[in-house]
Amino acid sequence: MELADRAIGFILASISVTIFTYYTFWVIILPFVDEDHFVHNYFLPQEYAILLPVYAGVCLICFLSVFIGYVMLKSKKKKA
Amino acid sequence: MKHIAKIMTFLVAITAVWISLLQTAMIPQSHTWLLPLYLIVSLGCYGLLMVGVGLMQFPTCPQEAVLLQQDVIEAKQFLKHNGVDVGSD
Repeated sequence: MELADRAIGFILASISVTIFTYYTFWVIILPFVDEDHFVHNYFLPQEYAILLPVYAGVCLICFLSVFIGYVMLKSKKKKA
Repeated sequence: MKHIAKIMTFLVAITAVWISLLQTAMIPQSHTWLLPLYLIVSLGCYGLLMVGVGLMQFPTCPQEAVLLQQDVIEAKQFLKHNGVDVGSD
């Protein structure tokens, strides 16, 4: 159990570091690299730098609302 | 209340820097518009990192658990001795 918690923590930390490095490179450094440089092949076009986080945020908020609603419904049923 | 004032000044300072960047057009507009989103993404990454690190270094104390179980047994015996029903385990 303890080992599983530790593994999950390590996975979460590495995911966050990976996303942060990739996004930093994408948004901050890439505009200063030449258009025809080979690095550009590894990144989506610049519009997706806005679209993907917004889409992820909307998904997260939808999931949270559904979850909260589900929990509220369940607790009300238990009370009755 | 002091903490929220600190956070608010921090936010106002960042907004001021961002607006000045927008006004002076030092870097292209499309890139300046990306910066707040970048801030939010990095904040999310920071939160996720802190949760991961906290999970990785979650302190457990097995010796204390054994002592606590001993205390529970002792308290149950005491209560039973004095005629209080604590149920069977």
